[in-house]
Amino acid sequence: MKARDLLRLALGRLGTGKLRTALTMLGVIIGVASVVALVSVGQGATKGISDRLQSLGTNLLTVSPGFSGGGGVTRGSFGSATTLTLDDATAISQLDGIAATAPQLTANKLVIAGTQNETARIIGTTPGYLPVFAYDMWTGAFLNQASVDHNLRVAVIGSTTADNLGLTETSVGSTIYIGGLPFQLIGILQPKGGTGNADDLVIVPVSTARELFVGSNSVSSIGVSAASQDAINTVSTEITGLLEQRHNIAAGGTDDFSITTQAQLLGTVSSVSDVLTLLLAGIASISLIVGGIGIMNIMLVSVRERTREIGIRKAIGARARDILAQFLVEALALSLAGGILGVAVGVLVSLVIGLDAGWGFVFNPGTVVVAVAFSLTIGVVFGVWPAIQAARLDPVVALRYE
Amino acid sequence: MSGPVREPIITLDGVSRIYDTGRVQVPALIDVNLDVAEGEFMAIIGPSGSGKSTMMNILGCLDRPTSGRYILDGQPVEELDDDGLALVRSRSIGFVFQSYNLLPRTSALENVATPLMYQGVSRKERLERAQTALERLGLGDRLHHVPSELSGGQQQRVGIARALVTEPAIILADEPTGNLDSHSGAEVLALFKDLHALGRTIILITHDLDVAAAANRGVHLRDGQLLETVVAA
Repeated sequence: MKARDLLRLALGRLGTGKLRTALTMLGVIIGVASVVALVSVGQGATKGISDRLQSLGTNLLTVSPGFSGGGGVTRGSFGSATTLTLDDATAISQLDGIAATAPQLTANKLVIAGTQNETARIIGTTPGYLPVFAYDMWTGAFLNQASVDHNLRVAVIGSTTADNLGLTETSVGSTIYIGGLPFQLIGILQPKGGTGNADDLVIVPVSTARELFVGSNSVSSIGVSAASQDAINTVSTEITGLLEQRHNIAAGGTDDFSITTQAQLLGTVSSVSDVLTLLLAGIASISLIVGGIGIMNIMLVSVRERTREIGIRKAIGARARDILAQFLVEALALSLAGGILGVAVGVLVSLVIGLDAGWGFVFNPGTVVVAVAFSLTIGVVFGVWPAIQAARLDPVVALRYE
Repeated sequence: MSGPVREPIITLDGVSRIYDTGRVQVPALIDVNLDVAEGEFMAIIGPSGSGKSTMMNILGCLDRPTSGRYILDGQPVEELDDDGLALVRSRSIGFVFQSYNLLPRTSALENVATPLMYQGVSRKERLERAQTALERLGLGDRLHHVPSELSGGQQQRVGIARALVTEPAIILADEPTGNLDSHSGAEVLALFKDLHALGRTIILITHDLDVAAAANRGVHLRDGQLLETVVAA
């Protein structure tokens, strides 16, 4: 039999029992739609996180106090160790291949501007902070070296903080109170966007923060910007050597600091989210298998119902393989149509979720191809058994079947 | 029979069919010998339980004899595999059934065209041939009706058109009038006579002697054995 004849038979058959066809396809539609939607949500979330990490600057290395675990992840809560000092930061800034450094002293303080107030993250740092963490100024100026040298009470705030405190362009130059102490607002940062709190912060000179808020030389981390992306590994090695020397740690001993590069972080995030995406897809594919069983069920019922038709077809010249092909193509048409509709539904769902969650529409043609191929495979796997049942029917018995 | 002796189109030589039910072996056909010449209109007559259905299944290549030889149109069929039998059914046999056995929810035209689909004939050609066959049987205005919209007599004529459309070597009719009123039955039998007059080989299987009288030769089947040959007028 010709492929076109098989297709015509299958579509004709599916067209005669529309409700049954629709219900049978529903299983596959749900399965494929959830695979497509979940994979796209997984990839969208990954993209959202990666975008945020990349917005921190791809040349960024973060030196954190505390012992380093195997994977370069700091053990203990961030900034809880006190092994890294401002002097370390100064020493690092003198290494080759470094564009800028930004030590961070952090504290949480109540910030008051006019009648508004909020508890904000206060970061004491140097002018290097702007390039290292890839911020841009929206209005006003950033810290300069003089403000650090002279412990000036000046502050630069993030865009979210500015919104929360009701501060705008015209507020630059006004006085805000941090921990009860007056500071002059000298600038507001350009928003970075994303879902984190990168825009909710107050930046003051590191010397001022040490004097007024922290009272020690311990930094919670040092951001280092390598001169280029290629230099990251060299710089990392240099910093390790320098700090081991300064902290009197023998080579091969346990470091009391750890260095994380953006690349590492990106790698970790993407491997975690890959596993997560795979897990989601795995769960979703269970519903695809359930949909496949639905197809098998309906095809087995169909073979039983159409026993006489099979007998007639055999009597007028159909070979076993013609019957097999007819039923298989029917199952395939069901699963393929379900697969295509499922892709449409899945794309729609992921569009809605993506827009809602803020990472936009992540469309992966690969997922669609895989989902459709998978639904076809389901059609073959679950359609072949009923088709074999049909093809094996004895025409004598089938013709007498009532 | 008059005229030159023609080559038999069907030869049954010592054909037996024994059903093995496990504990007992039930013989349905015992040592049947039969020749059917090309162009003959023959009736196989027997009451229910005589082995008629088995005879029909063997002649129609739906079943194989347990022993003996069956040669159809020069082809020994008892050795053929399932695909081989399907091919013989497709090319050499046209079935007409008591209960019509048309494909439900399928137009008369598509029903008649279906055997040609299994021969690999193009859709255009098979629809043309199916239409011609239906028109010849007076169903030109019923091409797109589905079986449930047709009377019994019309359905049986669709069935006959389906049997004829492949130009088979034999037409095998199993109680073709059994489900019809006497008027429609007479029409169908008249149709067979016409086809016979046109040179078709027809084998009519029936329990009804009146129906069998339409044929020009008859054989009786009793308890699986062919008893006698009756030559009709």
